[in-house]
Amino acid sequence: MSGSAIQEKVARLLSRQNGKPAMKAVKPLALKNEVANRKPKKGEATCVTEMTFLMACWKQNDFNNALCSKEVSSFYTCIEKVQTKAKGQQGTQGRLLPKEANTLLKRFPNLASEI
Amino acid sequence: MAASVRYLLKPWTPSVCFVRWSRYNPYYLDPDPSKVAVPESELSLEEKELQELKTVSPIKAALSSDTSSAFSDPLISKFINMMMQDGNKILARGIMTQTLENIKRRQVEKYHKSPAAKREEVVCNPYAIFHQALENCKPIIGLASVQKGGKFYQVPVPLTDNRRRFLAMKWLITECRDNKHRRTHMYEKLSQELLAALTNEGSVVKRKHDLHKMAEANRAYAHYRWW
Repeated sequence: MSGSAIQEKVARLLSRQNGKPAMKAVKPLALKNEVANRKPKKGEATCVTEMTFLMACWKQNDFNNALCSKEVSSFYTCIEKVQTKAKGQQGTQGRLLPKEANTLLKRFPNLASEI
Repeated sequence: MAASVRYLLKPWTPSVCFVRWSRYNPYYLDPDPSKVAVPESELSLEEKELQELKTVSPIKAALSSDTSSAFSDPLISKFINMMMQDGNKILARGIMTQTLENIKRRQVEKYHKSPAAKREEVVCNPYAIFHQALENCKPIIGLASVQKGGKFYQVPVPLTDNRRRFLAMKWLITECRDNKHRRTHMYEKLSQELLAALTNEGSVVKRKHDLHKMAEANRAYAHYRWW
């Protein structure tokens, strides 16, 4: 849809020519120089299996960490993997993050009026 | 007009210099107070790149607690900062040195009193004792309050290294301040707790075990996490 086609449609909706106007412009019909924040996706609980193994080991050995060193180390490696994955994944999905988009729009805004 | 535009062409340098703590831009590097200069050939590729970066990027102002001395230990410095009240760093540092001295004295006494066979096992280095005791006090799993269906549940959750270190130090300090006889000095209380923590005894390690037991009891709620 080209820009002029949109303007013509909006003018038709606001006009009184064909009965009362279909739309009342309460707020200015223009985009803001801001993007809405995206809700972070709700994931699942990570490292639950390692945690259950660790807890089973604790139950057996009366919470003695020296005897459960293998489970403890595997739990830590799982946590590290999850953390590095989460860090790498943040901004590389293809789209711009809302914070980055807002910074760019602040520096190069769409001018609403002449300066 | 040329004068007003000229400032856009100069490379930006701060007109005010930073002092101690303040919010720095993420590209500012931490100061490196070590006096040791490693020759070029012994540096790996990453370290060479880091040296290149240090020549061009700005560096944060050094804190007054940064030293190039061989005796400075970041863990001990962090513990001193946590013990400090009302900004009295001198008192906190004095307590820490007295604690380390007390630990050393006790261990040397134990060393001389023990038979020749057992002497190898007695650790005399107070810094090593502090590090090991702190490791023994660190919890592995913590609890987080998660709301689900109107009710709050205590969910077992993995902790970051910083959080674990903070909890261990906080427990040590609060246990020594609150749950001991009031007529004993702080350094005595601390050295007692540290030496007990070395052998997984004492109230701080008990507190850690209580947290683990709570986490184990609530293991059914582990799936209420979404991170």
